Amino acid sequence: MKKIVLLLMVFTSVLSAQESYTVSGVVKDASNGETSFGASVFLKGTTIGVVTNEYGFYSITAPKGNYTLIISYVGYATKSKDFVLDANKKINFELSESTTELDAVLVVAEESEQLNIRSPQMSVSKIKVETIKKIPVVLGEVDLIKSIQLLPGVTGGAEGTGGFNVRGGAVDQNLVLLDEAIIYNTSHLLGFFSVFNADAIKDVKLYKGGIPAKFGGRVSSVLDVHQKDGNSKDFRLTGGVGFISSRLAAEGPAFKSKGSFLVAGRGSYAHLLLKAAGEENSAHFYDLNLKTNYNLNDKNKLYLSGYFGRDEFNFGGNFKSGYGNASGNLRWNHLFNDRLFSNMSLIYSKYDYELEFDSFEFDWVSSITNYNIKYDLSYFINDKFKLNFGASGIYYQFDPGAINPTSETSAINPLQLDEKRAFEGGLYIDGEHKITDKLTASYGLRLSTFTRLGGQPLTNYQGNLPVVYNTTLGIYERGTEQGETDYEKGSSIKDFGNLEPRLALSYQLNSTSSLKTGYSRVAQYIHLLSNTTSVTPLDVWTPSGKFIKPQLSDQYALGYFKNFKNKTFSLEVEAYYKTTDNRIDYIDGSDLIGQNTIETEILNGEARAYGLEFLIRKSKGDLTGWLAYTISKAEQRTPGGAAGGLGINDGKWYNSSHDRTHDVSLTGSYKLNDKWSLGSNFIFQTGRPVTYPNGQYTYEDLTIASFSNRNSDRLTAYHRLDISATWVPNKKPDKKWKGEWVFGIYNIYNRKNAASISFGQNRETGANEATRTSIFGAVPSVSYNFKF
Amino acid sequence: MKTYIKGLLVLITVILTSCSDVIEVDVPVAAPRLVIEASIDWEKGTSGSEQTIKLSTSTPYFNSNENNVVTGAQVTISNDTDNSQFVFNDMNDGTYTISNFVPIADENYTLEVVYNGETYIAKETLIPVVDINEVYQSLDGGFDDEVLEVNVDFIDPVDEENYYFFKFREQGDLLPELLDISDEFTDGNKMNVFYEKEEDDDINQKEFEAGDIANIEFYGVSEQYSNYIRLLIEQYESVGDPFSTIPVALRGNCTNPANPDNYAYGYFRLSQVVKTSYTFQ
Repeated sequence: MKKIVLLLMVFTSVLSAQESYTVSGVVKDASNGETSFGASVFLKGTTIGVVTNEYGFYSITAPKGNYTLIISYVGYATKSKDFVLDANKKINFELSESTTELDAVLVVAEESEQLNIRSPQMSVSKIKVETIKKIPVVLGEVDLIKSIQLLPGVTGGAEGTGGFNVRGGAVDQNLVLLDEAIIYNTSHLLGFFSVFNADAIKDVKLYKGGIPAKFGGRVSSVLDVHQKDGNSKDFRLTGGVGFISSRLAAEGPAFKSKGSFLVAGRGSYAHLLLKAAGEENSAHFYDLNLKTNYNLNDKNKLYLSGYFGRDEFNFGGNFKSGYGNASGNLRWNHLFNDRLFSNMSLIYSKYDYELEFDSFEFDWVSSITNYNIKYDLSYFINDKFKLNFGASGIYYQFDPGAINPTSETSAINPLQLDEKRAFEGGLYIDGEHKITDKLTASYGLRLSTFTRLGGQPLTNYQGNLPVVYNTTLGIYERGTEQGETDYEKGSSIKDFGNLEPRLALSYQLNSTSSLKTGYSRVAQYIHLLSNTTSVTPLDVWTPSGKFIKPQLSDQYALGYFKNFKNKTFSLEVEAYYKTTDNRIDYIDGSDLIGQNTIETEILNGEARAYGLEFLIRKSKGDLTGWLAYTISKAEQRTPGGAAGGLGINDGKWYNSSHDRTHDVSLTGSYKLNDKWSLGSNFIFQTGRPVTYPNGQYTYEDLTIASFSNRNSDRLTAYHRLDISATWVPNKKPDKKWKGEWVFGIYNIYNRKNAASISFGQNRETGANEATRTSIFGAVPSVSYNFKF
Repeated sequence: MKTYIKGLLVLITVILTSCSDVIEVDVPVAAPRLVIEASIDWEKGTSGSEQTIKLSTSTPYFNSNENNVVTGAQVTISNDTDNSQFVFNDMNDGTYTISNFVPIADENYTLEVVYNGETYIAKETLIPVVDINEVYQSLDGGFDDEVLEVNVDFIDPVDEENYYFFKFREQGDLLPELLDISDEFTDGNKMNVFYEKEEDDDINQKEFEAGDIANIEFYGVSEQYSNYIRLLIEQYESVGDPFSTIPVALRGNCTNPANPDNYAYGYFRLSQVVKTSYTFQ
């Protein structure tokens, strides 16, 4: 606490007493009234400028004088406005898409690009949904998660599995936020599709490192997804019809033009086709996005957003399974004055899954729920200093599983695994400081706390060892139980606290290039339990506590950034080194299903990852796209520790499942003419680490494989080429109905990429075989999208 | 039960995936290791005096028909309570037999195998098993409600942890089907286990039909063995699937105290077993 007070004093001392005034306002899209996040707002001929926040707000304070204000935003025509700063002023801007006003872009490009280079923020990728929509995808389903995997440092698991990995981190180390609400599972149909409906999304920001102090709770990355506010000018319908699913979104002004709304729905219907084809098993998903906002007055604005998504599986009538996320967020933007912006959020989110086994007459439900209150403030102090600070509190409820018989005759006894509760608190302060004209810094501190709350019993173990090493058999097994302790509701089982410093520096080498460096420490208090190669929807989240310590990561990064040819091209090179303490791994033969005492199945270890990322991007002209290359290493080590023994893999470093030595992606889109545009991507990746058999023997008449060390082999390299073509049939500017056809071929050269290689005995011949499962061969697709 | 939950994930993947093919893969080759298949099976209602233990060595994964039987080893089981010794005879084909073994329920036994100058030791308890209540066929149950399966019902003893192991085999099949189950979620209840076969043209497998005979073996096993066989079955059935656990070196209870790293594969198990068969109507 003392440190924070001290920091505040340092910050306030920066305040200058010069005669200055403030110009502030909101930047929006002229066509639909959507606020613009990340637009540059600049005073021409000076180095004074800011970028708009997630609500489109900017505030610039400068000495009295005559200025030209320049607003630029990728994909939009740059605007400028002359004005006299002799009092505090409010100027709102509306930007039009750049296609029509190419000249304007060229005029001011030089000024606006400086900001991007100057900003100390590194290791961040922002993608607009328009870009994502141009990327060819499997079966024509636009997929945000697959799109970010085209960025350097981001990979995914096998095709058809969910989540993504950032800089060698695990899937559960990503904080995924949809309008600030935590999304615990990002996949539909196990991972074939993602939960984000592109028609409801405005933009996406991925922090791979240098995570601002505002965020905490996950050690690898933050994926910050913003839903559209809804068109505030006109009522619009957007939609699409594809092979797998169809979408429809409605948006328009509301509350007598004091606000707007968006409702978007999406549903798959492939299961109906399967049913028609006589297939009795089925899988389908749907989701719903909602958002509305209301302008109380100039200083106050309310936002309400919600998401609901669900997957349903049905197998021959005997097994059913369903899972999904639900979230809601009420936000209140309040402008204290033209330099102090605030937002208060009340957020709810939940993830649950259920299984129903008719044959065995039981069902199984599990869930994680959280309630979150957040208050964030930005103080635009002067032209050299901006301060962000705030607090948040999250209350979690974990229900790891309840089993209930579904009939009188069921053999199953009811079982409720211990419900767990926890509270996570956060307090942060973070300054963006222009130290000299060339050197800019962002430094902050986050204080995070975590309390594992009572209301459950915990098993005690002999010697406080939930796992012990059996020296005779050479295996890890559960410790000896010694009764249990009951923790009362409201009491604390265990408390944790961490100070998380974040630092980023940017040094401008010249007008087109800069060097950046950063350090960040992040703590993670909740963990996804998964001992399978890929995460599954059935995996359960668990809080830190008596037996599981918070994960703690330190990341160091260094980068070089350069713009070429009037910002037509940009180059980003980044190197990173990241260590994570307290990364758990699972003992040989661990059993997590229905496991009440997870601590008996795990050992505490560490992880490290390092790599070099290159990104060359072309963001102007008829041909746009990027080439990304990453060379990296991700490993972990899990010694026996107090349990005894050498540990997993004899205590030696082993490859993490998401280690990829080489990762290349090339993405391009080309505008051929007014009617046709083409898109393509190529991906090459080193194969996923796997464990292969190193011998065989006969046991119980079966041929049993023996295995080499954990993750010491690799699948064959993964590569594929996708293409797409978009045809806009009738481009009449005055026609309201705008339709487009998207034709695509995924994996055009039909590469049989191994999603997995399984080893087993052919039951007819008895011979051992290696069977490759490749999920997608060449897959053609057609979809139709429309706007009205 | 857990096996079925894991099976569910595999099912989901099967539905969603399209294509699989057999390919050639280079796999690592480990040095050969002794394999001890010491399964002392005491069929209920018999004396259990005749027993066989098999010894072999592990071979490279894709090598078939390699002569890997182990001869010339000394194989002895002793009863830990009365120290009585049972010496097995080397049949020179990898099997070691005895005709005067004395099985006693809940008794502890020690196996000693001396081979190539190394001594391997394993300790286990002989686990009894309850009777089978009923064996019957059905259509509705199982994974698929349009496919015949044979059901085995038995009553789990209440208030104790019990572990069971099933070995099913359709008469004429090359390979058996193994299943492990515990009373973790069903303590004291009537438990049901089924054996169903789904059609698979690739391996010439057909669903059960009238006239088919299913052989059923029902074993009581220790918790330690249950942990071992669960992992063995899991790895046998689904190694490498994206939703399977990362495979691990499977270690049984055959240790080498003088040279721990040179342990043996396999297991020394002592079980009471109920054997029966069912002819589909």
